[in-house]
Amino acid sequence: MTTRFSRMLAITLAALSFMTSPVFAQDTIKVGMSGRYFPFTFVQKDQLQGFEVDVWNEIGKRADLKVEYKTANFSGLFGMLEAGHIDTISNQITMTDERLAKYDFAQAYVVDGAQIVVKKGREDISSIADLKGKKVAVNLGSNFEQLLRQADPDKEINIITYDAGFEQDVVLGRTDAFVMDRVSSAQLIKKSGLPLQLAGEPFATIKNAMPFVKSEANQALIAKVNQALTSMKEDGTLTQISIKWFDADITQ
Amino acid sequence: MNFDFIYTLELFPILLKYLGVTMQMALIGFVIALVLAVAIAVVRVFAVPVLNQVAIVFISFFRGTPLLVQLFLLYYGLPQVFPWLVGLDAFSAAVIGLSLHFSAYMAESIRAAILGVDRSQMEASLSIGMTKLQAMQRIILPQAARVASPSLMNYFIDMIKSTSLAFTLGVAEIMSKAQMEASSSFKFFESFVAVAIVYWVVVVIFTQLQHRLEIHLNRAYVK
Repeated sequence: MTTRFSRMLAITLAALSFMTSPVFAQDTIKVGMSGRYFPFTFVQKDQLQGFEVDVWNEIGKRADLKVEYKTANFSGLFGMLEAGHIDTISNQITMTDERLAKYDFAQAYVVDGAQIVVKKGREDISSIADLKGKKVAVNLGSNFEQLLRQADPDKEINIITYDAGFEQDVVLGRTDAFVMDRVSSAQLIKKSGLPLQLAGEPFATIKNAMPFVKSEANQALIAKVNQALTSMKEDGTLTQISIKWFDADITQ
Repeated sequence: MNFDFIYTLELFPILLKYLGVTMQMALIGFVIALVLAVAIAVVRVFAVPVLNQVAIVFISFFRGTPLLVQLFLLYYGLPQVFPWLVGLDAFSAAVIGLSLHFSAYMAESIRAAILGVDRSQMEASLSIGMTKLQAMQRIILPQAARVASPSLMNYFIDMIKSTSLAFTLGVAEIMSKAQMEASSSFKFFESFVAVAIVYWVVVVIFTQLQHRLEIHLNRAYVK
């Protein structure tokens, strides 16, 4: 009852445009993730878990930060970052030139490749050249769309952006292939049992890290996070977390 | 066709845990929307100068743009212009968005209901010395409420379902939970069947309540 009352009060205040200056405890960091990117960040039996969660729990411990997880559609995460609703995104964000120009990144914590995935038994697609004229799914807001566009200057690939569920559409045959990072593609096939297969070799190297809005306050925060990540790399903790979820070290 | 029936059943306790969030958004949103809508409708009916023009623009905007766009503007857009709005959490943003959006529609159906009350009612009220506002409050609105209630219930039902858009802002409500569970288990069909059933049952319950309410409002008209 109290929460409902306080919520109503908050709404009323905001609706009447009163000045409400946000007060954030200094040692809390709000980490945004989709909760829908298995096995990096996913929800099972109402429990948020995965590689990203383990990494952040460890960063929180080492950097003395209270980590608060916020889940939202992947396509909404950068909006939340811009608007200040979250401090950073932990969702395998690839460092691209455009993003580097706009955000400050912590150091990379995953190195991976972009992978084409097709329905099991399909032999006609094994490289990017084979995707011409085909329907290819990517996650809305992800950088795989950009990677594909770069490799396809004549715009012959029919790229379709999804918010979720593209694996299913490839299985159903509505879409010919999807592009995602190699590690989670392999993981997805193994865990889900969906009739999918990796098509050929990864076509681009990607480095993933956590973006922060450029500001002086964030410089200090990034330094803290980097320090924690460095020590996790040095003592093998990061590798351990990677092996726990992927049976492989994807962190270097 | 293999449908994992057990999995669907197991999802219900999880979904029901978050049904409260969905219903809070819908109920709080509806109350605010109703108050706003009545105010807008009265302003429109009396053609109050200035306010009437504001109301027309308000209705035009909130009916003319998708709810999703409005939610994005409110939650992602405005804080970039007004930094203090960062303090507005996703839940409140969703409630405000739903209220504003639905108040525009509801205002028009309340206005229609008010206009549907015979002119003689207003004239009679004024002749015995009531002010226009008193007449509106005591004589016209109660009669309009009866006419408007089915369509207002329509909007309420629509609102319950529209709360599913709140996940795009990061509100943990039932649709978001269904989607998240689906994307880790890959049992999309099962998850969406479960969440559809929850919405449906809720709407059926409110339809029943609406039926009772209608009987109550109609009691003076029964022969």
